[in-house]
Amino acid sequence: MRIEIIHEIASSLRNNKLRTALTGFAVSWGIFLLIALLGAGNGLMNSFSGNVEDYISQTITVEGWRTSKPYKGYKDGRYIQLDQEDVTYTKGDLWEGVIDNVTTTTSSTSSTLVLDGKTVGGWLTGAMPRHQEQFKIKMAAGRFLNPDDITGRRKVIVISGSQARELVPGDVSNILGKWISAGPISYQVVGVYHTDESDFRRSTYIPYSTYKSIYDKSDKIESISFSVNGPVTLEEHKAFEEEYSLGLKRKHDIAPDDRMGLWIRNGYTDNLEMNKASHILSIALWILGILTLISGIVGVSNIMLITVKERTHEFGIRKAIGARPGAILKLIIAESICITAVFGYVGMLMGMIACQVMDKTVGQKAVDIGFEKIQMLVNPTVGLDVALEATLLLIIAGTLAGIIPAWKAARVKPIEALRAE
Amino acid sequence: MALIELKDINKTYNNGQPLHVLKGIDLNIERGEFVSIMGASGSGKSTLLNILGILDNYDTGTYTLDGKLIKDLSEKQAADYRNRMIGFIFQSFNLISFKTAVENVELPLYYQGVPRRQRHEQAMEYLEKLGLTQWASHFPNEMSGGQKQRVAIARALITSPQIILADEPTGALDSKTSVEVMQLLKKLNQEEGITIIVVTHESGVANETDKIIHIKDGVIGQIEENIHHDAWGGPLMK
Repeated sequence: MRIEIIHEIASSLRNNKLRTALTGFAVSWGIFLLIALLGAGNGLMNSFSGNVEDYISQTITVEGWRTSKPYKGYKDGRYIQLDQEDVTYTKGDLWEGVIDNVTTTTSSTSSTLVLDGKTVGGWLTGAMPRHQEQFKIKMAAGRFLNPDDITGRRKVIVISGSQARELVPGDVSNILGKWISAGPISYQVVGVYHTDESDFRRSTYIPYSTYKSIYDKSDKIESISFSVNGPVTLEEHKAFEEEYSLGLKRKHDIAPDDRMGLWIRNGYTDNLEMNKASHILSIALWILGILTLISGIVGVSNIMLITVKERTHEFGIRKAIGARPGAILKLIIAESICITAVFGYVGMLMGMIACQVMDKTVGQKAVDIGFEKIQMLVNPTVGLDVALEATLLLIIAGTLAGIIPAWKAARVKPIEALRAE
Repeated sequence: MALIELKDINKTYNNGQPLHVLKGIDLNIERGEFVSIMGASGSGKSTLLNILGILDNYDTGTYTLDGKLIKDLSEKQAADYRNRMIGFIFQSFNLISFKTAVENVELPLYYQGVPRRQRHEQAMEYLEKLGLTQWASHFPNEMSGGQKQRVAIARALITSPQIILADEPTGALDSKTSVEVMQLLKKLNQEEGITIIVVTHESGVANETDKIIHIKDGVIGQIEENIHHDAWGGPLMK
């Protein structure tokens, strides 16, 4: 009987080409739009999260800033300078088990770097090895500072790609091992960090201890960075920041409710908020997708309604010669399933092709956002599972859409159906 | 026992104003009879035929077909009875336009669950019997009225039904073809012993049958035995 109904459907579809084509188009278009949309959305999100991973690390950085409120006899607008005591506070027992991997940076000194008569401007900053990880510095050649550099107070330097390109011809790695002078001091280049052509960053890194012994013998500190264990949610992080900064505020006589005075950048919450944003984006995409799908479903049910009306007389004939209501119902639904399945599949293929086209065109293009080029769409495709699920959903919905008119058609009395023209 | 027994059949349509169409019909039709039901339009003859064909239900009374009480059937049962016991011939042929002649003839067997090949063979057999072999793969709109009606007759015959119900079978045909179709029905009745009930408003068509049941205003009037029509029947048509 199963093969029989396929023959029935085939002949009915073959002989109603326009109707079949119209229904099919509605279905294909719905699925096509859905998949293309999800593909583009996925590409956007991939690029989003890829960029998040590239630029935001799981680090909290604290710097001194200008106060915004007068407190304890001090005027507002006072610049807060962090110092070694703050590091002790951060590393102290109070935050035992919560704060980890504490690093510091010095302030920066402007300098002119000279190599074989060529010069380039630069900012020297004393940093620690972990700085690379905490600030997501990508190396183009050589290495970043290491612990031996710190303990040996070595005169080594990590410069940017753009500086290296100005100082030596050819590949940036040509500068490794060369000694460049910054004022009276010479540093050996041990590493070049990655910058794009359009990125003219001038920061250079020398060992923290070296900087302190040459440029700044005080215990002033520019920034303190650390990782934390414990706070997970946004609220927990806010509470932690509040509690942590309170200790510093007390020490530096900053009003406890002063939002300024200390500048805290929390990579964890940045990440959380980025994730939230991408989550919202994905929900928005799905809502759009589902709306698209609904338009497809409405198309199918609309055509099913017309079809059933058009074919009432035919169903009357079928009933007169002995078709049970169930047989009519089965015929209509099976036709509906066949159309949605075949054309849904076509739409799915077209959608996936569209995704591939997007990948090969827009996906290959990078957009300049100032300091780095990023790809707008990364791998803008939809997983086969999602594509199949969407198609399946449309098939089911198409079937449901067909059921009501089919049920009506199946229930019409044969005598009435025969009268219909 | 008669093949068809109608006892006090009443039918009222309730479309706004109640319309009492059949007012107590009592009728017996024996196996092998060739009967016509004749009446003017609005006499209730089509309603009676629809009830006989289980296409419509009746309000009171009893209808027994081949010993089975046909009353308050579910749609499913009604469909099965129609499929196995009744063959229909309609004025407008009622062939499915997107199916070929042979596919149309096969259709009742499809609903019996007969396998495709067997169905096809049987349908071809009946088409051959009606002289339509070369038209088997043609669509209805490629055929003449007479050919279409013969396809419809083949479709009615294919399930070997107890009765054939023909509703104005010649209504859409020219006089020559009408004669042919009536001759064919007569032949089927005489040679195969099939019970045939023809509904018509044309006396010429009714005259071809063995018994003419006159119906007027929802009641059965005169029942005319017409056994001698063979002697002089044909020329009277139209």
